[in-house]
Amino acid sequence: MSAGAGGVALPASQPVAFAARPSLRLKVEQASYAYAASDRSAPKFTLGPVSFEAQQREIVAILGPNASGKSTLLKLLAGLLKPLSGRIEVDGAEVSQLDLRVRAQKIALVAQESELLFPLRVWEYVLQGRYPYGRRLRFESDEDCLLAGNALAQVGADALRDRWMDHLSGGEKQRVILARALVQQPSLLLLDEPTQHLDIGGKVELLRRLRRLADESRYSVIVVTHELNLAAEFSDRIVLLHKGKCPRIGTPAEVYQRELLEEVFDAPLEVEMGYSGRPRVILRGSH
Amino acid sequence: MRPLTPQRILWTCAGLFGVLFVVVVISLRMGAYPISVRDIVDTLYKAAAGRRDEVPVEFWQVVFGLRLPRIALGILVGASLSTAGAGFQALLRNPLADPYVLGVSSGAALGAIISLIAAPHVVGAIQIAAFIGAASTIAGVYFLGRRGGQLDSPTLLLAGIVAASFLSAIIMFLLTMVTGSELRSIAFWLMGDLTAPPPVTNVLGWLGFLFFVFIVAAGAMYTTSSDLNLILTGEQEARHLGVNVNRVKFVVYIAASVLTGLAVSVSGAIGYVGLLIPHVMRMFFGTDYRMLIPTAAIGGAIAIVLADTLARTVVAPTELPVGAMTALAGAPVFIYLMRRRMR
Amino acid sequence: MGERPITRAARIFVLISFALVACAAGHAAETRPREGGRYKGADAGLRQAAANEKRETKNVTDETGRHVAIPPNVQRIVTLAPNLTETIYALGLEDKLAGDTSYCDTPPAAKLKPHVGSPQTPSLEAIVALHPDLVLATTSINRPETADALLRLGIAVYTSDPHTVRGMLDSIARMADLVAAGEHGATLVAQLQARLDAVHARIGDLPLVHVLFVVWEDPLITVGQNTFIADALRWSGAESAIVAEQNWPQLSVEEVVRVQPEYIVLTPNHSESDAANKSSDLEKLRARPAWKALKAVETGHVVVASDEFDRPAPGLIGAIEQLARELHPEAFALSEGGKTIVGGTHAAMETLTSDAAKKECVSCAL
Repeated sequence: MSAGAGGVALPASQPVAFAARPSLRLKVEQASYAYAASDRSAPKFTLGPVSFEAQQREIVAILGPNASGKSTLLKLLAGLLKPLSGRIEVDGAEVSQLDLRVRAQKIALVAQESELLFPLRVWEYVLQGRYPYGRRLRFESDEDCLLAGNALAQVGADALRDRWMDHLSGGEKQRVILARALVQQPSLLLLDEPTQHLDIGGKVELLRRLRRLADESRYSVIVVTHELNLAAEFSDRIVLLHKGKCPRIGTPAEVYQRELLEEVFDAPLEVEMGYSGRPRVILRGSH
Repeated sequence: MRPLTPQRILWTCAGLFGVLFVVVVISLRMGAYPISVRDIVDTLYKAAAGRRDEVPVEFWQVVFGLRLPRIALGILVGASLSTAGAGFQALLRNPLADPYVLGVSSGAALGAIISLIAAPHVVGAIQIAAFIGAASTIAGVYFLGRRGGQLDSPTLLLAGIVAASFLSAIIMFLLTMVTGSELRSIAFWLMGDLTAPPPVTNVLGWLGFLFFVFIVAAGAMYTTSSDLNLILTGEQEARHLGVNVNRVKFVVYIAASVLTGLAVSVSGAIGYVGLLIPHVMRMFFGTDYRMLIPTAAIGGAIAIVLADTLARTVVAPTELPVGAMTALAGAPVFIYLMRRRMR
Repeated sequence: MGERPITRAARIFVLISFALVACAAGHAAETRPREGGRYKGADAGLRQAAANEKRETKNVTDETGRHVAIPPNVQRIVTLAPNLTETIYALGLEDKLAGDTSYCDTPPAAKLKPHVGSPQTPSLEAIVALHPDLVLATTSINRPETADALLRLGIAVYTSDPHTVRGMLDSIARMADLVAAGEHGATLVAQLQARLDAVHARIGDLPLVHVLFVVWEDPLITVGQNTFIADALRWSGAESAIVAEQNWPQLSVEEVVRVQPEYIVLTPNHSESDAANKSSDLEKLRARPAWKALKAVETGHVVVASDEFDRPAPGLIGAIEQLARELHPEAFALSEGGKTIVGGTHAAMETLTSDAAKKECVSCAL
């Protein structure tokens, strides 16, 4: 993947010529995983086999209740775990076998951040995203600074540039973390429950931003979530997980079937068609 | 957005070297023996020109026998301790970490005490034994501090504290068994003493060897400074950005422990420097480790040379141990830094 | 991150303050008065070096096994311990004493000599500034590192290692030899030996009194078998009731109660005289709970040794005499104008009733 003008926004309507399926970013083929308390005991948890694909500019939601295997699948996608069977490929390369730095050039993971030990400015934090490129002990180039500036602009955090990281609000911090991920110029952008600590306005704002970013980008966005309606509203496809199995993969309309959702989420649910043509889930008996 | 450049680091270090130079000149000038700057410069010049016989015996004794070795040792020890402190603060994710928190100094002290008891007049025994003690502690704490085969910061911290306490208990036991004269030597060694004679007669060669070890260890740590910047924002995040966190932790652990062992073997346990200088340098120059490691090293050298100069002039002709001076100066600085963090 | 203005300001401030400190320090160092060891210029050092190299130097092995090259004509001596200073004065060599430590107060004249610091941490530079030909040290109070450092600088250091009273006398004789005062030394040693023999003549056959020698009260520290204090006790007709290999064993009072020494020997402060101290010390001990159980406290068998007792110097002999008299009073008798030689501290001096007896007291020159 070239480190060219990856951060610059492309108008969605511009036609671009591709070679055969070069827009396939992620390919998961019969991936499975299991872990046990020890070698001899029975596996405590198994995941899979799961198969799906993600193209560039797509948002794929990995949806399921707690303990359905979402984080395990995410770790497999990020290359942090090696699948027991099957393959997980990003841009055609098996993820768990990639060199650490190359993997960081391809996959950016946005998770809950740890507490900072020492004060750090926003632009310093974002610039750290350029670490996978160049030598290990490196000094940031002008190009790095340009990319960081672009990323901050893309997430609407340009005004936060010189602020201290620990003076930011929750939403502001998340935008900055997202900017750092973008600066990695990844092929795959993974987000682990990004709406967890946000209020409803923040959730919507974040997912709208993700949608815009995806539309204008060359990467795929994978979001792990348990928010049914947000996933339906903003994602192109949904991978539904239930106790380590994958009962359905498809568009929101295809996946959101009442009986299936009720079984997976163990709650009385009703599925309606929303205004945008996307399904909407509400609790039954609360009309 | 003004990212760090190698030029800025070099200019900052040049400035700090200038300060160090001034401090060294002051230190050379001060002492119980009255000798003017002109005479000092004259002695140095003649020494460089190979005209030793033209230099009065006492000038040579004072400049090359007493003051310069102390200053050189002070620079080495100060730089080692500060660099090690900066490394441990990142490794243990704890701003209160100092080079001794993992028990290296207790191990070195135990080695030194055993050598003082077993082989009191063997030249160089104390340094070698101290270094062996330090190395054993480094290895022991490393194996205790692992979790799932990798260095885990909280586990490492606990292992180090346990080791330090255990070794201190053994030291205290040995101290009660020891006769009078060794006790005095041990007490002074524990407080930090820059006047210990070198184990070999070729002082210059010995100093050169020590500086070589310092450069290797500090250099190894410097190669991980970009990694450390990332690790400080979170270990998981650093992994996701491609940092080989386990390898970095291992390198920093070994480098910082070697630096601590080096300093302690040579001069006993001088406190506060390793803890405070990194924080002071952060206040002036920021938290980026690419800048912090070299500035902490030079800053530590300045601090120890200053402290040593004060230690030998403040209540002249009695000499205070350097550790007493660093504690006296260090405590108020520490309080100030703590209050600043609370703001 | 940009260089903040505070950084620049801080650096300028630091540089200016260093410059100020440097000027102040330079000024202070120059105006500090220095007696005796005043630096006379480069030539003094050069002349010294040349003079030393012209004649033969004596190569001796000191009492710690170090090989030392003693210059033949020792004019300037520096002592690093109070007992050594006292010895130099007893040998009549005080004119050659260029400097001593801040602890050296016996005789009082020693306090006026230039000081090089404390015996534990003397300033090596101050020693060098005094241009000594010979430095005297002792293992009983100095650190070996000090002697090593001075030797490395090319300064002759003789370290004595006293373990017994006779060993101390030998040391005195040897040190006197080093400074070409062998006759003084022999005379002094002979006098001291004679006094020791006199004491031994009186009490040599008597059984040794079991005592507890108190070095420090809290924690309770006494002496071990290998110290010269233990040897001095034996010369005084006493024996430490506690047997220990360590030099300064620390014990609990219960152990003392178990052993029940016959006498308790205390060591005084420098400021209080012996006679005045004795009754108040006894009262203090009687007031302490555990000590009350000691027979020695009950019967008032508490004596205060002279402060010379823990110092291997000529005054030790007087201290031995004094303690011997306190522990074996029946064996001593003062004879008016007789040939009996008595010695001791000021308090004992008061009891001498004739001038003749006072004259024969050799060490009473304090």
